[in-house]
Amino acid sequence: MRQAGAYSSMLVGGVSGRTGPHSLPLARIKRIMKQSSDDVRMISAEAPVVFSKACELLIGVLVRRAWAAALRRKRRTLLKEDVAAAVTNTDVFDFLVQVVQQQPK
Amino acid sequence: MDDVSERQMQRRGHGYEFHASEAANTLSGDAYTSGQDHLLPIANVGRIMKKALPPNAKISKQAKETMQECASEFIGFITGEAADSCQKNNRKTINGDDICAAMKTLGLDDYADAMRRYLHRYKEHEEKATSRDHNKIACIDVVDELSVSKTSSSRRHLFPTNPSVG
Repeated sequence: MRQAGAYSSMLVGGVSGRTGPHSLPLARIKRIMKQSSDDVRMISAEAPVVFSKACELLIGVLVRRAWAAALRRKRRTLLKEDVAAAVTNTDVFDFLVQVVQQQPK
Repeated sequence: MDDVSERQMQRRGHGYEFHASEAANTLSGDAYTSGQDHLLPIANVGRIMKKALPPNAKISKQAKETMQECASEFIGFITGEAADSCQKNNRKTINGDDICAAMKTLGLDDYADAMRRYLHRYKEHEEKATSRDHNKIACIDVVDELSVSKTSSSRRHLFPTNPSVG
């Protein structure tokens, strides 16, 4: 990921240049946010930054739980069903249940 | 934890249909390449997954794709709640605090707390960077003045007394 210098970040509005490269593209996050509902109008620059970090956390938690599921099945390759198991076994991930069930085989 | 499920289910009706059809289209064929912009890039997602696993772990493509869908749903789910709240309070812009508040409302307390701390540090960093950039501009002006004055002392009067911002 390119890292903006101090001056270009001042022109752009200062998100990526100041805090260094993010592991997820902020423009894409912003687009996903906009698509989520018609009520979404304006998004502050910091909101995608927060989601970039939050998604990292989410993926980290999910993948570790999925890995535990894979190990229980004596596998070292993470499969879709392991991610699904991690979702169904974790209460706070109830909102993801339909996403993992939707996956066509 | 039924409370969490309930809070999340109340939100559930709101935008899932969109994601469901997008998910089916995306995974079933290459023809839907233009529809990838509702997902985070698989390379980035894969990298984050890899970091959280031991070196001998392998990750199937389907697992990565599933994770992409989960991340997008996560973003959409929380954003929807934040947007609702902003609308109720007659605010047009969704900011970082709205995201954190929405996480709390939806039962994602750990994320709410972690993100509040992160947002706080980010804002502090932004403030420092702003003042640092202003200082840098002042420094460049000084250097400029010095190098110019070195070439010819007679030309000094041609340069404006107020240094222009570079």
